[in-house]
Amino acid sequence: MAREVRKRFGSVDALAGLDVEIRAGEIYGLLGPNGSGKTTFIRCVAGLVRADSGDITVLGRRPRETAAAGRVGYMTQAAALYGDLSVEENLDFFARLEGVHDIDDRIDEVLRTIDLADRKRSIVNTLSGGMRTRVSLAAALLHAPDLLLLDEPTVGVDPVLRREFWAHFRALASRGTTILVSSHVMDEASRCDRLGLILAGRVLAEGTAAELMRRAGTTDLESAFLALAAGGPAVEPSEASPT
Amino acid sequence: MSLRRIAAVAERIALGFRRDRRSLGLLIVAPLVVLSLVGAVWGSTTDVVPTVAIATDRIGLPPTFSGRLVDALIDATEIKAHRSTFDQGVQELKDGTSDAVFWIDGVTLHLEIEGSDPLRSGGIGQAVQKALVGALTRSGLTNSGLGVAAPSVQIEQLYGGADYTLLDYLAPVLVAFFAFFFIFLLSAVSFLRERTSGTLERLMATPLARAELVIGYLAGFSFFALVQAIVIILFTVFVLRVQYRGNLATIFLVEAVMVVGAVSLGLLVSAAARNELQAVQFVPIVLLPQVFLSGLLIPVSQLPDYLRPFSAILPLTYANEALKAVMIKGFELGDPLVLRDVGILVAFGLVMAVGAVASIRREIA
Repeated sequence: MAREVRKRFGSVDALAGLDVEIRAGEIYGLLGPNGSGKTTFIRCVAGLVRADSGDITVLGRRPRETAAAGRVGYMTQAAALYGDLSVEENLDFFARLEGVHDIDDRIDEVLRTIDLADRKRSIVNTLSGGMRTRVSLAAALLHAPDLLLLDEPTVGVDPVLRREFWAHFRALASRGTTILVSSHVMDEASRCDRLGLILAGRVLAEGTAAELMRRAGTTDLESAFLALAAGGPAVEPSEASPT
Repeated sequence: MSLRRIAAVAERIALGFRRDRRSLGLLIVAPLVVLSLVGAVWGSTTDVVPTVAIATDRIGLPPTFSGRLVDALIDATEIKAHRSTFDQGVQELKDGTSDAVFWIDGVTLHLEIEGSDPLRSGGIGQAVQKALVGALTRSGLTNSGLGVAAPSVQIEQLYGGADYTLLDYLAPVLVAFFAFFFIFLLSAVSFLRERTSGTLERLMATPLARAELVIGYLAGFSFFALVQAIVIILFTVFVLRVQYRGNLATIFLVEAVMVVGAVSLGLLVSAAARNELQAVQFVPIVLLPQVFLSGLLIPVSQLPDYLRPFSAILPLTYANEALKAVMIKGFELGDPLVLRDVGILVAFGLVMAVGAVASIRREIA
């Protein structure tokens, strides 16, 4: 899916030869500290940023083509909504951009999913941060995308809701939706089918949570991440990556 | 190009306006308040009557003539004249109790005015001239061999007229300026918010194309700009009673094409600003040159040569020219001058819109 992707912003190498292959219908977690290149990679996949070099294919096409076809759902890190519009008006707007049919039914459906059906007519600015995050997720789900890009989707979300989110992600994946999710929360990362540990714009290691812990010789993911990040050449991406 | 998506963007802007009553108020009420103020200041025809000190010690005429002339001047309604000496008069000028000192030296009529305010100075000379013509006639001195001729020039105007106030002449350019100013500012800030709040990034990850976004914005904002234009035009014509000759529909059409350019320029400028404060700081750069160079205050033909090229690239120059032609001269849309100006405004709008599309930096992967 992504091969040798490089992107520089000024003197900063945001992506320094990143290789990732995400399989259809899996939940792939990008795990890494702030500034490791997670968001830049997600923006590349969403067609918002052109990589300086390398090759990215999303669902068999170039990223922007896939997004233009309405097959990608993108949930940004901070909720990107119109604060002066109601929840329903926001969702209606995004649904029309994505070319959704039966807009009203779909809005009711996603609002039930995020458990905000009773706040349909609330103005977004009056909602709590967690509620806005949920509406932002709803906007990304409206058109039932084949690929869902979630940039740190559970930041500021309480543990109960976080569990519900993940249950929902799992349900979507089981119906064939591919999910690329970034996080720096280890607990959450363990829920992904596979993980890519990212540091300084490169994939350090890739595999299931269990594989990564075994390889690092640790019993929890956080220690595994720290060990692998410090380990350097012991774990080459090529060794870990099945591509 | 999808009409459905364009309509969604335009509707989103309308919804935002519905909730943002303050901006809507700014758009409609603010120009009316300012225009009313301008109307109150410039719309009245009452002339200020200057106070003139007649330096009787320096009226170089035989005493009988002198006395008749001074009496006639004191009776004149155009000025408030009183007897004085030269030195006393000058002191009155300094004290601010008189506006001018008048005396006659040989065949030359002298008027010394205070002079610190050019707008007031001009009026004083005219008023004294009028008073003098009347006084000479009334005192029977006109044909007395005094050498003071009182030629009477009757001025007829092709356009406008004696009953036109300054506001009547300024209304066309003010109407254009307000429409441009408010809609430029609102569209710049609104699009900037789209950039800074992350919604622009979110939109660019949907099938929405950049051109669709810009056209949607143009449609959404132009709608409100045109509502504003209708309100402003009706207000100036029916409430401020500004005299106009042309067709209201033509006035509206010129406004409409100008407003599309203003919205596009606003979108383009929002790309150069990082926050709302910076966007507001663009107002002096974008608008003040248009105040001075577009014929709003000074006719373009009276500008120094090296400023004319700048004037030629400003959209308000053409809007002003067209609106003046329509409102004061009664030109129709079919008139070559109006057609040319409207064409240039359309071209300006197109260029700015293309620039706005290009300014949405999405690097397509």
